[in-house]
Amino acid sequence: MRPNFLKGIRFTDLTWAGAGPFGTKVFADFGAEVLKIESMTRPDSVRTAGPFKDGVVGTNRSGYFASRNTGKHSVSLNLKTDEARRIVRDLVAHSDVVCNNFGPGAMDRLGFGYEALCEIKPDIIYLSMPMYGQDGPRADLLGVGMTISAVTSIMWQTAYGPNDPVGPGTHYPDHAANPYHAAFAVLAALAQRRKTGRGMKIDLSQVESTANFVGSAIVEAAATGIELPQIGNRSRNDAPHNIFRARGHDAWVALAVTDDAQWHALTEAIGRPDLGSDATLSHAAGRLAALKRVEDAVAGWTRELDATDIIAALRPHGIAVARVSSSRELIENDPQLAHRRYWQHVDHPEVGPVLLSSLPFTIDGERVHLERPPLFGEHTNAVLGGLLGLSTERIDALNGLGALS
Amino acid sequence: MERPFDDVRILDMTYELGRYVGRLFADLGASVTRLEPPGGLPDRRQAGSDDPATREPAVYAFEFLNAGKESRTLDLQADDGRAAFAKLAASAQVILLERGGPLYDELDWVRSLSPSVVVTSVSPFGRTGPWADAAATDLTLQAAGGLAWLSGRLDDAPLRLPGSQATMITGVYAAVATSLALYDAKATGRGHVVDVSAQECIAHSLQNSIQMWDFEKKVSMRGGEGTRDASEDMFACKDGLIFLAAPRSLGVSWNALIGWILETGHPAGEALSEARWADRVWRLTKEAKHILRETLESFTRQYTKQELTQEALKRKIVMGPVSTVLDVLEDPQLLHREFFESVALKHLSAINATTPNATVRFPGAPYRLSEPVWSVSAAAPLDQTPARS
Repeated sequence: MRPNFLKGIRFTDLTWAGAGPFGTKVFADFGAEVLKIESMTRPDSVRTAGPFKDGVVGTNRSGYFASRNTGKHSVSLNLKTDEARRIVRDLVAHSDVVCNNFGPGAMDRLGFGYEALCEIKPDIIYLSMPMYGQDGPRADLLGVGMTISAVTSIMWQTAYGPNDPVGPGTHYPDHAANPYHAAFAVLAALAQRRKTGRGMKIDLSQVESTANFVGSAIVEAAATGIELPQIGNRSRNDAPHNIFRARGHDAWVALAVTDDAQWHALTEAIGRPDLGSDATLSHAAGRLAALKRVEDAVAGWTRELDATDIIAALRPHGIAVARVSSSRELIENDPQLAHRRYWQHVDHPEVGPVLLSSLPFTIDGERVHLERPPLFGEHTNAVLGGLLGLSTERIDALNGLGALS
Repeated sequence: MERPFDDVRILDMTYELGRYVGRLFADLGASVTRLEPPGGLPDRRQAGSDDPATREPAVYAFEFLNAGKESRTLDLQADDGRAAFAKLAASAQVILLERGGPLYDELDWVRSLSPSVVVTSVSPFGRTGPWADAAATDLTLQAAGGLAWLSGRLDDAPLRLPGSQATMITGVYAAVATSLALYDAKATGRGHVVDVSAQECIAHSLQNSIQMWDFEKKVSMRGGEGTRDASEDMFACKDGLIFLAAPRSLGVSWNALIGWILETGHPAGEALSEARWADRVWRLTKEAKHILRETLESFTRQYTKQELTQEALKRKIVMGPVSTVLDVLEDPQLLHREFFESVALKHLSAINATTPNATVRFPGAPYRLSEPVWSVSAAAPLDQTPARS
């Protein structure tokens, strides 16, 4: 399906890189007109970051860009020119939402502060998402997604054990917490505007947004005054609960026992009735106290078997077990994702079909079909000539001034 | 004061993966009622256990994820309970279901009660497919969704992220999907069924690793092996760890750092000015990572997290403290912005005699709105009075 839930809603989208564009993508996927403002004088870093189709670098060849910008329209505007900044203001006058993920003060310097844009469009919904918020002693701290993991304790908590932090392998907050908190806030502002006729300013500090993703841990530390244990793949409540090596190169399974009945079923399945009949292990506290013995028994069994066979042996007993899947495994061999048609191939004029994740839900039993990402500046002429009614001569003149580069 | 969702009534029967959805709506004015079987939904039963070993840390997750929600006991096995539900459903805009919870297997009946309602169901793998009924936990979902694969050291096992991230990731996606469906339902009068798979939500949050395989046939590996610059890591300092990012693509950050070290006269400055540090590819190697750690830490160990952060601010180095959870509560920026709320947690005080009035600091809003429409309050205790229709 191609939902038109947001038909008639227009975004002037100044976001770039990862977290900002990922948050506006879902609006384009649901029928909003998202005008992505970009310039080759300061290219979107995911256009230049790759991966590139066949490893060949090119402005329109980045898979990372494709995955963050489906269905958007690209309008090339060099914001270093007065003319381009004027065009942005004209676009805002025709927009419902304007969004950016620049550092504090950048929008004001461009003449795009909230008050200034409210004068042009009184009911505008205005989203900013700087890393640490607009004001305060660390507002100007520079960071990447991993910096946000660091200051919110996610990095410290992602640990094999006590004082052995590793941190997430990705810029994790960029990929769910911040884009989707931002999208939820914009949807709330749209709901509010529909009732009141008023727009709203949204100031999303990416650190504050991400702190909510470890909200339970923060509540615990606040309540107890005690630092949380670094438990890695283990559980504070039961055992075995870990990632174990399976047969094959770098093959792993995650396995989590959550009650005593499952433990007994597990001991049967792995051929260790001796452990099943050991009363000291028949309850969670006993298993946690004998963690090494319990985990060694499981590890000794899993390492001799393929992940598929481990899963086939345990899943019928209601034990939570799963292969630790790589990207390739998910794409090529995951029967669940395949059955639910999670992967979409979207045609692209420059790089051919692009593999994309669907939005992670169905609506009324159907997938939301994605439209391809835009080529750089693909819609500049149509938007300037159509929406803003500029003549071909005027557009050519703007081009001559470098305003559309 | 009107609030974004003050005209939205939500019946919430989630107890694990779906709990953050109702929380986000409640913060912005929705009336969210947990409909619980006698004795409570599973998360309440665990949070209320007499045994601390069972109760912790579930009780804190309970308080965080159910803040602002009301609670009502409803026996859906009994006729009067079902009649009461039908009445509630007729005036609800959103119904939240979760696999293993009440009414998940009665989707058609739930839908039949109101043509304009949005029914969002949350489950580990979605309603359809060969794994629709497979058992799952946070750990196994982070594995099945591809997230665990990406973290950890290459010579050790993959590593999950902390704090039930499967619930958090699923929650934000499901909340956005629900809000989109609601926006349409209000415009058209037509309801929707949203089927959210936690595995898919996680697989949607894997940075660029799907495209790395599709376009370059490279499997993204944990530890960023072969892709992560030597500088993008944690380094020891006087009182803990700092996180630095200064790859060649962030040349300003690297140059500012080296400039500072040279200014102090510390020998690390000369060592890191050698020509090889301009070699982007060499900087990805194990050798470079080892040398950078030894050299840089000889410098950073002289300073505290706070001192290093101050220099990072002054000099535009991409560097910040690796905070523990207790550190987050003292973060000067968060304190300056008065991020934390104060909430009297009813569940926690009920079970813990030593803290009969457990008022604790609570994470503040994930976003600041220019109208005062966001607020948080404690999760309601279980309503002991069975509802009458």
